[in-house]
Amino acid sequence: MSGGWRWLTRRGAFSLRLRLMFGSAVLAVIFMLALLPVLRSAFLIALEQSVEKRLAADAGALIAAARTENGRLSMPSKLPDEEFNIPDAQLLGFIYDRDGKLVWQSRTAKGISVGYLPRYDGSGNRLLRVYDREGNAFYLYDVEVDLLRGESAAFSIVTLQPDSDTRALYNGFMKQLYLWLALALLLLLGLLWFGLTWGFRSLRGLRRELDEVESGSRERLSDQHPSELLRLTGSLNRLLDSERQQRERYRHSLDDLAHSLKTPLSVLQGTSEVIAARPENREQTRVLQAQIERMSQQIGYQLQRASLRKSGLIRHRVLLAHVVDNLCEALDKVYGDKQVRVQRDFDLWLEIPMERVALLELLGNLLENAYRLCLGQISIGARIAQGVCEISVEDDGPGVPEDQRERILRRGERLDAQHPGQGIGTAVVNDILESYGGELQVGESSLGGAAFRIRF
Amino acid sequence: MKLLVVEDEALLRHHLYTRLGEQGHVVDAVGDAEEALYRVEQYHHDLAIVDLGLPDISGLDLIRQLRSRGKTFPILILTARGNWQDKVEGLASGADDYVVKPFQFEELEARLNALLRRSAGFIQSTIEAGPLLLDMNRKQALLQGASMGLTAFEYRILEYLMRHHQQVVPKERLIEQLYPDDDERDPNVIEVLVGRLRRKLDGAAGFKPIETVRGQGYLFTERCR
Repeated sequence: MSGGWRWLTRRGAFSLRLRLMFGSAVLAVIFMLALLPVLRSAFLIALEQSVEKRLAADAGALIAAARTENGRLSMPSKLPDEEFNIPDAQLLGFIYDRDGKLVWQSRTAKGISVGYLPRYDGSGNRLLRVYDREGNAFYLYDVEVDLLRGESAAFSIVTLQPDSDTRALYNGFMKQLYLWLALALLLLLGLLWFGLTWGFRSLRGLRRELDEVESGSRERLSDQHPSELLRLTGSLNRLLDSERQQRERYRHSLDDLAHSLKTPLSVLQGTSEVIAARPENREQTRVLQAQIERMSQQIGYQLQRASLRKSGLIRHRVLLAHVVDNLCEALDKVYGDKQVRVQRDFDLWLEIPMERVALLELLGNLLENAYRLCLGQISIGARIAQGVCEISVEDDGPGVPEDQRERILRRGERLDAQHPGQGIGTAVVNDILESYGGELQVGESSLGGAAFRIRF
Repeated sequence: MKLLVVEDEALLRHHLYTRLGEQGHVVDAVGDAEEALYRVEQYHHDLAIVDLGLPDISGLDLIRQLRSRGKTFPILILTARGNWQDKVEGLASGADDYVVKPFQFEELEARLNALLRRSAGFIQSTIEAGPLLLDMNRKQALLQGASMGLTAFEYRILEYLMRHHQQVVPKERLIEQLYPDDDERDPNVIEVLVGRLRRKLDGAAGFKPIETVRGQGYLFTERCR
C-alpha cells in the first residue's frame, strides 16, 4: 500500500493531464457519493407524502360511507371504493371506537392483525409504519373523526397499505439513480478528458516546437501560444538568441585570436628562414623554428578544442553524405593530380548525432590523411546500430605499422614528416571523440592501407 | 609569373613579396580586398595568394567576387585557423588550395608551383617542346640536353610563352611578367629580350618556335608537353 502511494506521489510518474484527470475523477466520485443520501431521502419523503395522500383519500371514502345511528356506526355492505371489497386487494380499512375497540373492518382486512391501538391525542391524523405478525410492513394512516357532532373524536378511521408496492418503487428508483449517476460520471470524465486534451494542446505544440529547435530545424519558438505561455516562450527565445549570439561572438573572437597570433608567427617563421641562409646562424634558427612550430601547434590545437564547445540546447543531427561530399569536393581540388576514387559505403540519408563543425573536423582530418597517403582509393563506411555510431575511413596507402599505431593517436605526432600538415589531426579527432564519449582505433584495411575506425 | 598577394599584415606581406620575387615571380602585394579587386582589373595575374582574415571585405568574399568577375587564375588561401569549416568554405567559394599559418616558405612554394603547373595543364614540373626542355624547379632551359644559359628575364619570358603555347601573348602581358609597376614599362625591352632568346634557341639546332604576330604579340608555335 505504502509502495503504491509512493509511486503515485513520485515526481514525474504521471503526465500533468493524467494527474488532473485522476484528481478530477476522485472529486467527481466524492461529490456523487455525497449527493446519493440526499437524493434518496428526498425521494423517500416524496414517496411517503404520496402514500399519505392516497391513504387519506381512502379514509375519506370510508368516512363518507359511514352512517351513525344513536352512537352506533353502521357501514354499507358494499363500499364505493372497489379496493376495499376485493379480497386480495392491497387496501385495508379499520374503524375503531372511542375505547379502542374494532367496530369495523373491510373485507380485505379479514385475518390481518397489525396490533394497532388508536391514541385519540387530538393530533387529528398521522402516518405510521407498522408490522403484522408475519413481519410484513404496512403504511398506516389514522384519522380521528367526530361523527357525533360536537363531541370529541368518537371513531378512529385507519387505512393501511402494504409497503411492498412502495418498496418496489423505491428499489426501481435507486436502480435508476445508480445507473444515471454512473452514466453522468462517465460522461463527466469523458468531457474532462476532452477538455484537458484541448487545454493541453498548446503545451504539446510547445513541445513540438522545442523538438524542432533541438533538432535544428527551427531557430526560435513562435508566438502562437496562449498568453500564459508567452512569457515562458519569450524567455526561452531570449536564451536561444543570446546563446546563438554568444557562440557567434565566440567564433569571431577565436578567428581574430588565431589571426592575430598566427600571422606574427608566420612573420617570425619567414624571418628565421632568412636568417638561416647564413651558415653560422643555422643552429640558432633551428631552435627558433622548432619553438615557432611548437607554439603554432599549441595555438592551433587549443583553438580547435575551444571552437568545438558543444551547445547545451540544441541536439544536432547532420547528414553524413552532405559532409562527406563537401570534404571530398574540397580535397579533390587540393589533391587534383591524384584522381582519388572515394567509395561511399553508407546509407545516403544516414544522420550522425554530432555538430556539423565537429563532424567536419573529425572527418576532414581523417580524410585528408587518407587522401595524402593513398594510392588512389578511399572507402568511407558508416552505420548506427543500438545507439552506437561507427564510421570508418580506409585507404590503399602504406598503412600504419603496428608499433606506431599508439603513437599517432597522441597529440602532435606525425609519421609522415615530409608531407605537409599540422600534425595535430588525429589528436583533434581524439579530443572530439572524447567529448562525445567515443574512441578512435587504427587497423588494417582490406584495401591494403590504414583503416581508422570511430565509435561513439 | 605574375602573382597577386593579398595579406593585411605588412611584415608578412613584405616577406612574401621579397621571397616570391627572389623565386623569379613578379609580385603584386596588397593589404586589402578593395585594392586587390582594383589590381586584377589592371593586370593579368597568373595566381593569387589570399589571406582569409582580411579587414572589411573578408578573404572568402574576395574569392567569390574574383570568381564572379570571371577570373580563372588559381587561388591559394592562407588561413590562420586551419579548421575544416574554413578550408571547405574557402575551397567551395573558388579557391584551389590552402596553406595554414605559420608556413614554411618551401611548403608555400611547392603548393604554388603545383597550382601553376596544373592551371597550365602540365602534370610534371618540366615542359618539353621538341629539343627544348624547361625545368621549372631549377628555372633552367636545356636545348638538346645542354643549358641555354638564360638570364632571369629571358627565362621568365620563355616560361610564360611555353606555358601559353599556341596562344598569342601580347607584349604588355610579357612586360607584366618582368616589372611590377607601370612606370617601368618599355616595350622595347621585350623586343630585345625576345630577340636574344630567338638567337639562343636558333644557335644550336635551327629551332625557331617563337613567332611575331604583327600588332598583337608573340606566339610559341611548338606543341609543349
